[in-house]
Amino acid sequence: MIVEVCGLGKRYPAFELKDVSFGLESGRITGFIGRNGAGKTTTIRSMLNLVHPDCGEIRFFGRPLAGHETEVKQRIGYQAGTVSWYPRKKIRDIVRIVKRFYKTWDDAAYHRYLDRFSIDEGKTPLELSEGMKVKLSLLLALSHRSEVLILDEPTSGLDPFSRQEILEIFTALKSTGVTVLFSTHIISDLEKCADDILYISRGKIAAAAPKEDFIRRYSRDGETLEDTMLRLEGGTAYA
Amino acid sequence: MRDLLRKELFLSASVLSYLFIPFGLLFLVPGYPILCSAFFVSLGLFQSFQNAREANDLVFSALLPVAKADVVRGKYRFVCLIEACAFLLMAVSVLLRMTVFSEAAVYRGNALMNANGFALGSACVIFGLFNRIFVGGFFKTGYRLGRPFVGFIIAAFLTIGIAETLHHVPGLEMLNAFGMDHPAVQLSAAAAGMIVFLLLTAASCRKACEDFERIDL
Repeated sequence: MIVEVCGLGKRYPAFELKDVSFGLESGRITGFIGRNGAGKTTTIRSMLNLVHPDCGEIRFFGRPLAGHETEVKQRIGYQAGTVSWYPRKKIRDIVRIVKRFYKTWDDAAYHRYLDRFSIDEGKTPLELSEGMKVKLSLLLALSHRSEVLILDEPTSGLDPFSRQEILEIFTALKSTGVTVLFSTHIISDLEKCADDILYISRGKIAAAAPKEDFIRRYSRDGETLEDTMLRLEGGTAYA
Repeated sequence: MRDLLRKELFLSASVLSYLFIPFGLLFLVPGYPILCSAFFVSLGLFQSFQNAREANDLVFSALLPVAKADVVRGKYRFVCLIEACAFLLMAVSVLLRMTVFSEAAVYRGNALMNANGFALGSACVIFGLFNRIFVGGFFKTGYRLGRPFVGFIIAAFLTIGIAETLHHVPGLEMLNAFGMDHPAVQLSAAAAGMIVFLLLTAASCRKACEDFERIDL
């Protein structure tokens, strides 16, 4: 496992993340599904050390995040919600500062993805559409050769064409060995590109399995994945 | 750490932080409560914190490959750099008033406190209070600016009031020394202010690192 999350817990006044455990295998795409407020963002923000879990351990590349934060972050890419930082700074200026933090920053890769994503360096994040903001996050992540991408609802709020484009990018990245974890509440995203499904409900991991195993185990005859998820989330017995 | 300082200077900072540095030259203005210059410089720094909050700077910085504590240290370095620039202008102003303009009538007839070593030390105390009360207070939450800044305003103007009053107290007239008068007192007052600044800033930075490590972004 390239990423391991063990016994993660976080208590808020109105919500509790309980004993969240899962692993990510190298070179696979994991779709992290759950309804709004199920705990996806809290889990992801804990993995990025933005939220302090009450208990549990997060390990990247066999090392605990705690105590190895700097070296772990050198090797991962992230998108914690939509790009909302430095909205009035030119992308060129943001990149000029950011690249200095990464030992593995690759200017050639940066320009390659800049062209591929059709991002204008002279624009500011404020001038980008939601889809382009996701691509900007991916651009920064990929330009320092991230081995693991952790993305919080990258397809949320995108039109179907942009969503499809982002999912195709994930698939292309997988073929280069990049591990992708993306959260979503759009079930068709999972059908299109996920290898593994991580399903969280009411702060607990309800299922974690390869997509085919998940369908075999939980879907009834004639059901689509969307039907299955809606039935599971509706509270029908599924264990 | 150099990269974090560069990020502070080019991405996070408000231009007002730079534009307010020349307020250090208010030390040249006769008949003016010169310690207000330290307050104005702090006001410029406050704008950078507001700017950074609006730009989600803390989340962005915390996601960079640096320890969270270094994000805090980067902010303190930026604040201290701006304060040091303003202090330099204040020190130059003091030197001019102590030497070239020491006999100028406009300064001799100054009703308020003179620009001297004691004034420099007092400015350092105000900067130290800004770092302790405002910057330290900000890092308790990572977003709340108003309450710590109001706390700083009260402390700063109390300090200004006390500093302006002290030389009227019998026996403390030397605090308002002209030119090179009472050099030992002036040097000691400046040094004491700097020590207070360093102690307040170091304690604040240490506490802010601990607080920032604990908060959820």
